[in-house]
Amino acid sequence: MKQVKNNIKRVCIFLCALFALLAVYGGYSITVNGNRWFSSGSNTFVRNKKKDVIAGSILDRNGQVLAQNDAENNRIYHADAAVRRAMVHVVGDSQGNVNNGAESFMASALYGFQMSMPERIAFFFQGQKRVGDTVQLTLDSRLSAYASTLFPSGKAGAMVVMNYKTGEVLAEISLPQYDPQQITAQAKSDPKKPFYNRAVQGLYAPGSTFKIVTAASALENFTDAATRAYQCSGLLQVGERYVTDAGTDMAAGKITSHGQLTLLRAFQVSCNNTFAQIALNLGDQKLKKTAENFGFNDNFLFRDVVVENSQYPAQNRTEREIAWTGVGQSELTATPLHMCMVAAAVANEGVMMEPYTVLRTLSFSGSLRTQAEPRVYRTAMQPQTALTLKSYMRTVVTSGTGTGANIPGVQVCGKTGSAEVDTQENTNAWFVGFIDEEAHPYAVSIVVEDAGGGGSVAAPMARQVFQWMLNNGY
Amino acid sequence: MSDKNKKRRRLTPGRAMVSTVMLFFFLAFFLLFLKDFAWQSLALSLVVPVIILFGSVGITKLFPADTLLLSLTNFLCALGVLVLYRLDPDRGFTQAVNYGVGVAAMIGCTLLIRYLPSFRFVNWAFMLASIGLLALPLVIGTERNGANSWITLGGRSFQPSEIVKIALLISMAHMLSRRKVIFTMGFAAICVLILAVQNDFGTALLYFGTALVLGYASTGNLLLVGAGVGGAGAAVVLGNMIMPDKFARAMSRVEVWLDPWQDVQGAGYQIVQGLIAMANGGLWGVGLGAGNATVIPEHYNDFIFAVIVNEFGMLFGLIVILMYAFIMIRGIMIARNTRTMFHALLATGCAAMIALQVFVIIGGNIKLIPLTGITLPFISYGGTSLVSSLCIIGILQGVAARNAAGIHEDRELAMQGGGVR
Repeated sequence: MKQVKNNIKRVCIFLCALFALLAVYGGYSITVNGNRWFSSGSNTFVRNKKKDVIAGSILDRNGQVLAQNDAENNRIYHADAAVRRAMVHVVGDSQGNVNNGAESFMASALYGFQMSMPERIAFFFQGQKRVGDTVQLTLDSRLSAYASTLFPSGKAGAMVVMNYKTGEVLAEISLPQYDPQQITAQAKSDPKKPFYNRAVQGLYAPGSTFKIVTAASALENFTDAATRAYQCSGLLQVGERYVTDAGTDMAAGKITSHGQLTLLRAFQVSCNNTFAQIALNLGDQKLKKTAENFGFNDNFLFRDVVVENSQYPAQNRTEREIAWTGVGQSELTATPLHMCMVAAAVANEGVMMEPYTVLRTLSFSGSLRTQAEPRVYRTAMQPQTALTLKSYMRTVVTSGTGTGANIPGVQVCGKTGSAEVDTQENTNAWFVGFIDEEAHPYAVSIVVEDAGGGGSVAAPMARQVFQWMLNNGY
Repeated sequence: MSDKNKKRRRLTPGRAMVSTVMLFFFLAFFLLFLKDFAWQSLALSLVVPVIILFGSVGITKLFPADTLLLSLTNFLCALGVLVLYRLDPDRGFTQAVNYGVGVAAMIGCTLLIRYLPSFRFVNWAFMLASIGLLALPLVIGTERNGANSWITLGGRSFQPSEIVKIALLISMAHMLSRRKVIFTMGFAAICVLILAVQNDFGTALLYFGTALVLGYASTGNLLLVGAGVGGAGAAVVLGNMIMPDKFARAMSRVEVWLDPWQDVQGAGYQIVQGLIAMANGGLWGVGLGAGNATVIPEHYNDFIFAVIVNEFGMLFGLIVILMYAFIMIRGIMIARNTRTMFHALLATGCAAMIALQVFVIIGGNIKLIPLTGITLPFISYGGTSLVSSLCIIGILQGVAARNAAGIHEDRELAMQGGGVR
């Protein structure tokens, strides 16, 4: 009997643990995911509230009004069509076509759910409709509109500009764009999907921009990585297949080789052969570990930017796949925003800041409700590794594949990429980089789909964006 | 007024709690009355506090009962009536009637356990009736939400598994107290299998868990628990070979659980809407009557917890979970004060059954485990469920009353000069 009562005590402990699990998981899950669930397009509660509440305005970082309600309670967007189109993926539209635009993701502020009880009571007794909070974004609408003009006409793609010291996103544009004021049937049926926000939803093969990660892995795992001599023959045999370099065309019998080279030189000329060898030397586990330090395979839960998770491919892979991963291909995927964070981490001594797009929210009367503070997302690498990579990325711009981004007298650093996509004629043109100056802490990430080489297409766009920013007080 | 009377009216913690609970429900229904000006709301604002007063204090005048257990139970039952009434007045009214019937059944169970010393002579009848009732839907059952475990009688449908719960608890406690472990587990396995065949996985899981808890409590043998889990695993593998279609359907539920957002308009709709309703509620809730949780399918039944979090907030939801935990702990305390093995196991089974049921359904609501259709004790809409849950509390009260009587006898014996063993 005594034994049984002891058993019953253990049963009680077990059942208490179940209850604790319920309470902890429930509380945690709602706290962490609540805002994402709330702002989901399936939430009819918010949709119903739109009739009873005058939605707050959305401003850009300079106070430009991007969205507001007029006297008849219709949603009105910025007067300039170019600005409307450039900002549409961040702001969203009144129909909710864009996933997680501020119109839906910030619904809780815009529709007055953040109001305090006295404010609600005051509105109730005044017999007025409630007015939601104003949301001020970190984005610059003029910069976004300018950057949108830089894309080759008719090409899809994305660009992200962020402050690498704080994580503030200054531009987040996706092409093709559409006008939220006049949503046409053509926009809805366009096969290029203009509602899709490529900057955060587009999972691309990062191509050679991933060599930043491969090089970081080599520098952190091999003490002699920087001094070791690599041999490039233009094509590297792995099993029965080859890893080829740009310029090598096996069918035509043409082989372009870099000869003997160091890690710096391989990075500068973006030598596939060398980086495939490095990946094989490192092995899948070590490369994966570094990639995960950079945020690959993590479930991104940033406070106000919803980003698709970047994937480092799963285990048990062939040598050939590992070799191709080292050069940023083979099932490896990342969003333009995440690659911008990768470049930003190099610029910021290895510390990756959490990206954010909402600067502050203000109540109807203009008092400050919330103010965003910079937060560290994770430490991607050792400061020493970041310094070395920074010097590599500088030589890419001064005398490597990225000279198109060079601005005389400005410390521009970067890495180009030309990622192959099976279904496309041309490669996706990539450029990620930053200005290495204390007064101008800006990183950029550009991808142009089906456009050709990163050095020739994307790098000059980065130069123009940085030039514009320097000319406009950034 | 005499001194004695003054002493009586003093505010004890128990009375403070009951008064607060009564005030809460008076205000809540009165709030609903201010919204719709329906006489039913006004009537309920007066009737529900009176039922609570009777259910928690009145009963203790009839026989010694556990006031804490009673007030917690009554709060949860009244909360069910309130939320259901706010969602749909007709359902709320029906539930209020069920509540009254349930309290009567609870008293019946208490008296049964208090005065019937042994179930030796009815045990076989209980077991046969259990299996017969559980198997009945296979013959004359109706299907509801994919589960084929319902019976329709005279225009009203109910689940026999709710009634069988009581018989099962008594039978298992009786047989385990007589050390018939293997036989008991075999009997439980048959019940679980019948439910699984009817696609009622929630109840099957509940029976399974309760049987394992009781098996462990009576033997202290973790191997037995391991064997039970292993046996269930083997049954799943076997089920996959015999009925692959059915297995695939069960697996699709697991997929929906892993990522309900894959198909927000289809398979994942219910869970997604439940999660959104809870997110809308936030910490403090949107307010009684201000939510729109009726968009969730089965909001009055399986998803009543999501509705509560929606309107009263997560903090309140956590308090509700805590209340169930207190009920369970109180049940275990009663079990540890018993003098016979049968009553110890019976009370443990009751406490475990309530706790596991809460875990299975709230866990399903918050996406901690795959969703299985099962009611939230005391709160969900449904007569049989409410009555059977109150019967379980009645059993606990009966055991508590026996404990109290035992202590009383000891004292009498001691006073007569006898010894306490």
